[in-house]
Amino acid sequence: MTGPSHTLADLEAHGFPVGALTGEQREVLLGLTTEELALLIDVKARLDEVGPEVQAHSEVAGAALF
Amino acid sequence: MDRTSGGSIAAVRIKLALTKPALQAAAARLWQLPGLAQRYPAYLCAMHGVIRASVPLMELAARRCADRAADDPVAGPLRQYLLRHIEQERGHDDWLLADLATLGCDLPRRVAAQPSPTVARLAGAQYYWIEHYHPVALMGYIAVLEGNAPTPELGDWIVRTAGVPEGAVRTAREHAELDTRHAEAAFHLLEALPLTAAQTNAVTISGLHTAETLIRLFADVVRAT
Repeated sequence: MTGPSHTLADLEAHGFPVGALTGEQREVLLGLTTEELALLIDVKARLDEVGPEVQAHSEVAGAALF
Repeated sequence: MDRTSGGSIAAVRIKLALTKPALQAAAARLWQLPGLAQRYPAYLCAMHGVIRASVPLMELAARRCADRAADDPVAGPLRQYLLRHIEQERGHDDWLLADLATLGCDLPRRVAAQPSPTVARLAGAQYYWIEHYHPVALMGYIAVLEGNAPTPELGDWIVRTAGVPEGAVRTAREHAELDTRHAEAAFHLLEALPLTAAQTNAVTISGLHTAETLIRLFADVVRAT
């Protein structure tokens, strides 16, 4: 595990909507470890890949099963 | 050794919540793109590979908790939670197989088929972390899977849109009912556990990895059908 080494500007450059986040969320984002940030960037990239072809629906949603 | 306050678990929630838009987008494609009648059996097959590992993962984690109980204050309460949750989850893979049987799926062939690399990446990481790091990592997996369960309306949507019989959506309906409560129970446990910072980080990494791989799995199903 490595400690945080990024700024809000770094996060914004990766496409995180920093301006729309609460102060608490921003504080948590600044505390992300390098591994956490890398995983979140991967997740964000997957969101960007699919584009706006289908809009998420609040009722027809969820697909994970445990 | 520093032990986590409830505030650190609030940070875990915030970090995992950042994956929600991507998970919701991936699920939206799964349910809303044309061709759900073909895609739904493929989704069930993929998820059978995941759900069949749920009880075995918890059983392994409970055994590793028992091994650690003497000198790890997390192990005892975590083991008690896992033993309860094993009984709550037992047999759910059979619901899914029954859904597939209703769709006319060749069950012996399905059960014998090798799960995909993405399924192995999703569930397999948990086996590794439980065995070689700490069983609490499994809580990130549980929190993400149970926190992104089917909505109550999804069963009706599948029946209507895919044209499948009611008997083919039991798994979606049951999980919509159960998993919202289960996801909250997972976080309540985390708030109560005396986690170290490293253990809290393990839960977060496990949850983020689960989210990323789950999105990949849903995309695999869409791509293949």
